[in-house]
Amino acid sequence: MVGPLPMEEETYLELYLDQRAAQDDLTQPRSPLPSSIVPFDVFMPNSSTPETAFSSLLEEVEEASGDFSSVDLSFLSDELTQENKDPAVARSKHEIEESCKTPSQPLPSEQDAGPDLNSRLSNSHSHLHPGDADSVQPSLEKSTFLPLASITPMTPMTSVSECSGTVPQLQNVVSTANLACKLDLKKIALQARNAEYNPKRFAAVIMRIREPRTTALIFSSGKIVCTGARSEEQSRLAARKFARVIQKLGFPARFLDFKIQNLVGSCDVRFPIRLEGLVLTHQQFCSYEPELFPGLIYRMVNPRVVLLIFVSGKVVLTGAKERSEIYEAFKNIYPILKNFEKA
Amino acid sequence: MNNTAASPMSAAASSSGRSVGKSISFASELQIMMFSLGDARRPLHETAVLIEDVVHTQLINLLQQAAEVSRLRGARVISDEDLLFLMRKDKKKLRRLLKYMFFRDYKSKIVKGIDEDDLLEDKLSGSSNTNKRQKTAQDFLNSIDQTGELLAMFEDDEIDEVKQERMERAERQTRIMDSAQYAEFCESRQLSFYKKASKFRDWLDCSSMEIKPSVVAMEILAYLAYETVAQLVDLALLVRQDMVTKAGDPFSHAISATFIQYHNSAESPAACGVEAHSDAIQPCHIREAVRRYGHKIGPLSPFTSAYRRNGMAFLAC
Repeated sequence: MVGPLPMEEETYLELYLDQRAAQDDLTQPRSPLPSSIVPFDVFMPNSSTPETAFSSLLEEVEEASGDFSSVDLSFLSDELTQENKDPAVARSKHEIEESCKTPSQPLPSEQDAGPDLNSRLSNSHSHLHPGDADSVQPSLEKSTFLPLASITPMTPMTSVSECSGTVPQLQNVVSTANLACKLDLKKIALQARNAEYNPKRFAAVIMRIREPRTTALIFSSGKIVCTGARSEEQSRLAARKFARVIQKLGFPARFLDFKIQNLVGSCDVRFPIRLEGLVLTHQQFCSYEPELFPGLIYRMVNPRVVLLIFVSGKVVLTGAKERSEIYEAFKNIYPILKNFEKA
Repeated sequence: MNNTAASPMSAAASSSGRSVGKSISFASELQIMMFSLGDARRPLHETAVLIEDVVHTQLINLLQQAAEVSRLRGARVISDEDLLFLMRKDKKKLRRLLKYMFFRDYKSKIVKGIDEDDLLEDKLSGSSNTNKRQKTAQDFLNSIDQTGELLAMFEDDEIDEVKQERMERAERQTRIMDSAQYAEFCESRQLSFYKKASKFRDWLDCSSMEIKPSVVAMEILAYLAYETVAQLVDLALLVRQDMVTKAGDPFSHAISATFIQYHNSAESPAACGVEAHSDAIQPCHIREAVRRYGHKIGPLSPFTSAYRRNGMAFLAC
């Protein structure tokens, strides 16, 4: 029996505390955020086999996710206070992701549950965004003393589930929305600030706002394309702001069919990668023409994400419609890249 | 071959090319390219000069033929379709070229989606740019295809053996490098004629031509130049491999016989016959490779005059 390692100790403690907090908070529908950590309860000995504990926890996650959708809708309200929430959400989300990542290492015996666990986790990640920032902070601070001996330590696996320690960051979100009314582009260009319109070059108004720093293409049909946001919420917020600008100019603009079209994430694995080896062994997925483009283009089928892999170790992921796809794609590619690490 | 009485124009414009004794030389770039294609860490300058010569001659010939085709069509610029037309005979090379063009389209599509500025640029420039190379290529091949085999190439998913061999060679080469060497190797792989587009144009003396190539045609020419260099390196490596006399090989004396015919008097047969102490490709390898490539072996070879007419077999098409 291996004693708990000092480094992992505190992360386990954190998670255990979170789980405790989650169990307290789950009675209230407003804070399902910590429940995403709940799946890690598989390490808790209160169930006969980890498998059954896992499946029962999954149900809890499902329920929580169900509650989540009600929280999600409330986000739709046109409040400026959303701006204040966003950075907090991003921060807490990051913390949770960090702490979620590390325990994926010791998962040896649950090989079948392992990948399933991670994919479920990444699904629940997608519900994390409109989380309630306030409820997270206090729960993390709860310091109840709990025995760690109940956590069965496991030897970390080196081959299959290697933890990268880094999480892809979103760089760009492209979304579309429908304002559901015909627009007079010339009028908009004349009256609005930060708007460009050059009908000979392109049949749309290009408008920019500073917060969040985004650009929109506004078409006369009433459809808009919003680019440049750093997260899904920011993109939605920005699109709403553009809609409001149009509204204030006198058009009966509404806000319909908001849809994320593309997510771009980037990451650094922090070791150089030997691309020649990768292109040879994964020929059916890779294209690499260094004279044209210094990065290798990897077309992942499941999930459908395109990755640009560079020698330096930087990875760009694009083509995803959901954040979970980006995380999953990175999780899939990491062991492959590790294989071709250039010492 | 001296132009002392030449007009001041030729002195000013360095694009008089070969007749003045090339003022534009790609030798140093070629050395980098040869390294990236499988040659030694420091390829020989003489080999680079020789390769430059071969590539230049072939490209000029190709350009002239393309201009001819273009003129027959009544067009004012050499378009990519003219070059595709010239390449129609060799399916494998044509396929490789098409794959390259499609990759170009695909790459610009992806990179566009990433950078927001790129996306706007593209929209503003009136985008029907997505897959435009692919579309023109497909349309053109559609029009000249009579037996249906050209169009079948688009669905063809066969492995390109030459490309496969190059990938394997690169993989072997990089496996033993350390990270500093590998970084250098990667950088040298990124060099292409396309990056030095204006120098490339001058080198080919495009400005003095009646019918000039279009932008996409220049892309293809840069690609074909690179392909020629790659082919030469491939073949030279094969030739070099052949030249290593294996003990007990009954044909070893025959090999050195053919070789002796072509080697420079300065180079000793021993140095070239056995693996040279510098691992670099020697000019003799290149010459032998070109000779073998142009030499049609087979029962009907005396009767095929196709290449004899041009004087040199095209390596790229």
